[in-house]
Amino acid sequence: MSNATTKPTPTSTRGSRIAMPSAQAKPLVRKKILLQTKNLKKSYQKGPLQIPVLRGVDFQAREGEITSIIGQSGSGKSTLLHLLGTLDVPDSGEIHFGDLRTDNLSTRQRDYLRNNKFGLIFQFYHLLPELTALENVLTPAMISHGIWKYWRNRKQLRAKAVELLEMVGLGHRLTHRPREMSGGEMQRTAIARALISSPEVLLADEPTGNLDRKTGDEVLGIIKRLNQEQGLTIIMVTHDASIAQEGHSIVRLDEGLVERQGQTSERRG
Amino acid sequence: MYKLMLCLRYLRTRYIALASIISVMLGVATMIVVNAVMSGFSHEMHKRLHGILSDIVMESHSLNGFYGWEEQISAVKKVAGDDIEEMTVTVHVPAMLSIKVRDQWVPRHVTLIGIDDQSYNKVSDFSQYLKHAENRQQVSFDLKEDGYEAEAGSPLRDAGWNHRRMKVAFERELAEEMRRFEILNQTGRMPTEHAPRRTPIGNEEDVAVDEQPSSVIPPFADDPDAPPLPGPKPRSLASGPGETGIGQVDPTRRGEDPFASRRGLPTRGTFDPAVHQATGIILGMGVGSVRQRDAEGQVKDYFMVLPGDDVRLTFPTAENPPKAVSETFTVVDFYESKMNEYDSGFAFVPISRLQSLRYMMHPELGNAISTIQIRLKPGANLNEVTNRLREHFPAETSPYRIQSWKDMQGPLLAAVEMEKTILNILLFLIIGVAGFGILATFYMIVVEKTKDIGILKSLGASGSGIMAIFLSYGLSLGIVGSGVGMVMGLLFVANINRIARVIEMITGREVFDPTIYYFREIPTIVEPVSIAWVVFGAMLIAVLASILPAIRAARLHPVEALRYE
Repeated sequence: MSNATTKPTPTSTRGSRIAMPSAQAKPLVRKKILLQTKNLKKSYQKGPLQIPVLRGVDFQAREGEITSIIGQSGSGKSTLLHLLGTLDVPDSGEIHFGDLRTDNLSTRQRDYLRNNKFGLIFQFYHLLPELTALENVLTPAMISHGIWKYWRNRKQLRAKAVELLEMVGLGHRLTHRPREMSGGEMQRTAIARALISSPEVLLADEPTGNLDRKTGDEVLGIIKRLNQEQGLTIIMVTHDASIAQEGHSIVRLDEGLVERQGQTSERRG
Repeated sequence: MYKLMLCLRYLRTRYIALASIISVMLGVATMIVVNAVMSGFSHEMHKRLHGILSDIVMESHSLNGFYGWEEQISAVKKVAGDDIEEMTVTVHVPAMLSIKVRDQWVPRHVTLIGIDDQSYNKVSDFSQYLKHAENRQQVSFDLKEDGYEAEAGSPLRDAGWNHRRMKVAFERELAEEMRRFEILNQTGRMPTEHAPRRTPIGNEEDVAVDEQPSSVIPPFADDPDAPPLPGPKPRSLASGPGETGIGQVDPTRRGEDPFASRRGLPTRGTFDPAVHQATGIILGMGVGSVRQRDAEGQVKDYFMVLPGDDVRLTFPTAENPPKAVSETFTVVDFYESKMNEYDSGFAFVPISRLQSLRYMMHPELGNAISTIQIRLKPGANLNEVTNRLREHFPAETSPYRIQSWKDMQGPLLAAVEMEKTILNILLFLIIGVAGFGILATFYMIVVEKTKDIGILKSLGASGSGIMAIFLSYGLSLGIVGSGVGMVMGLLFVANINRIARVIEMITGREVFDPTIYYFREIPTIVEPVSIAWVVFGAMLIAVLASILPAIRAARLHPVEALRYE
């Protein structure tokens, strides 16, 4: 990671030209880069057509920051997030998570990363409909723990899940199924689920995209609080520039390329 | 952990899976019921087929039998003596049995078997099927006083000496009456003197025999067709019936061989047909009776002949060319192996009598016999011993051929076996169909759960973990389905006769007709091993059927699965 800080990538230079005019005026001790990609390429096969989605993306997200990825539909922002979250593998290029290169990991190692290091939340919440809110939150723990280990630690895990649900304001809805909850509640449950295994990065794919303004703000509030209080690194995909402004830095994608990357006014302010 | 939880949760919430469970359940239950009934049926058949047959039969090629069987027996003992428990010899001959029913002679075809009453029941279970308790202990060709076992109301209960005396008395009375009418016809005058009533009717048989021995006349004494009675003509006949010259009955001499003196065997007296029976014969139940339904639909046996009655047998001698001989025998017992083929086809008489009647006694060669019957020791391998004997006594050079009882009933046993195999295959196909049902259902569930699979994968669940969910789902369907099916099947088997009666009541048709099968109840045998196989097979099919959908689920790409709508 040290090379990233000493030798800025072309993207960051380009980004700083636009979004960081005052950065030079008020220099900051930038935190170290936690997630970054180098010349990341990904295309999808649709019949005989090969549709390039990412065409050499260089991206960086620093530890303890909220990095927003914005762009139009089809710009490749969700794909980038999936690649960062090891849900998918790139055609070429590199992804680094701390010191670990994640693009060429085995399936099992990627499963482990998703289970333990990354917390994922999605636009459509993606809760398991058969399980209650509490069980949904416990699912990653169940996946990481074997049956006996889970059984031995069930009280602590349950207590942690309840604590997380209380933190997102759902302490009273533990036994409710997803269909009995509102969109905001479901998204808050998803956040609690993403946090159960104490991840290092929270990857959020349009977390407010399916919510009304007020509920979206609540959810965003939780995310911001997580960043502020616990210093959790958050990478958030959104198409709403105003939401993106809430974070520390913004990466704008356009047609599979980073159009610019820079710090937000909040960061600067 | 999540695998177990989701598997159970899916089991509880996907009612379509219930259809798979039911199909597995029905398949398993049917297989268990059919197997139990088929096993019961085949066991019962084996028992009955084997019933009056010995394990191995060395059967003469010709009807005339063979001599020198004593050497053959010692030769057999040398070859397979360690496996042989007991051996005996018999004479087989096809015969015509004539039964007098209401003054009509009814002929029936039987296989007449001459047996040694001392040793024959040691080589087969023949004696177990006899109707008299004493005969079951030790077969005897003596007519018993009474005590033939049968259901209440069956005339068999009144059979025996009592029946014989009553019948003879009746015939005597009738003959006397006929004689008086004859005189009336000839002279125009009714004879005034009435022959004294000689036969007391009642329960004083023993007294009657001792004090009024003249009351019993020999069977067929008035029958002009009856063959001459063997032995020196008794005084009673010489002086005509009704005279008082008949000696006291010596009960120990009943059934004594009248030919003993001719064969140079010691004899203690002269055969006295007036109060003795003719040579005893044991008939199959189906030979002497007809099983029918009465007006109320109850299955009943109608007897044409009872122990105590006489029958005529006509069969070929062992001469060249054979001649027919006829002889009177007294029915002394019935056997009922419940195997229709035997019960209506065999009659047993003492071997020495049959040999003498058929001229199978040679002054130099000894007696001829037609089969050597062998019973093996328990645990001996029937096929192995049979083959060993065949090897040593090839049919080409021996006067007999060697068959095991299974060979003799081969086609029937093979048919039952094949029936069972085919039924099992067909029924297993039913479970196979259930398996495809599971496959289709599972595919549906996997498609339906695509998004959930994506979610689980995004949370770090491995492909094998996802696969395990669906495999254990299939396994639990198999376990629940086959478990419930097993319980259902066993309950069905336990209550099969009650169920049959209910079906009878509803359809009005008898499920298991005892007039055909000779079974009053449906026989069932529950074989734990076959049940274990059925249950295991059903579970295996359920798991196999879930493999494909599980693989599909495991291979789903998380991103594509998440996007799936």
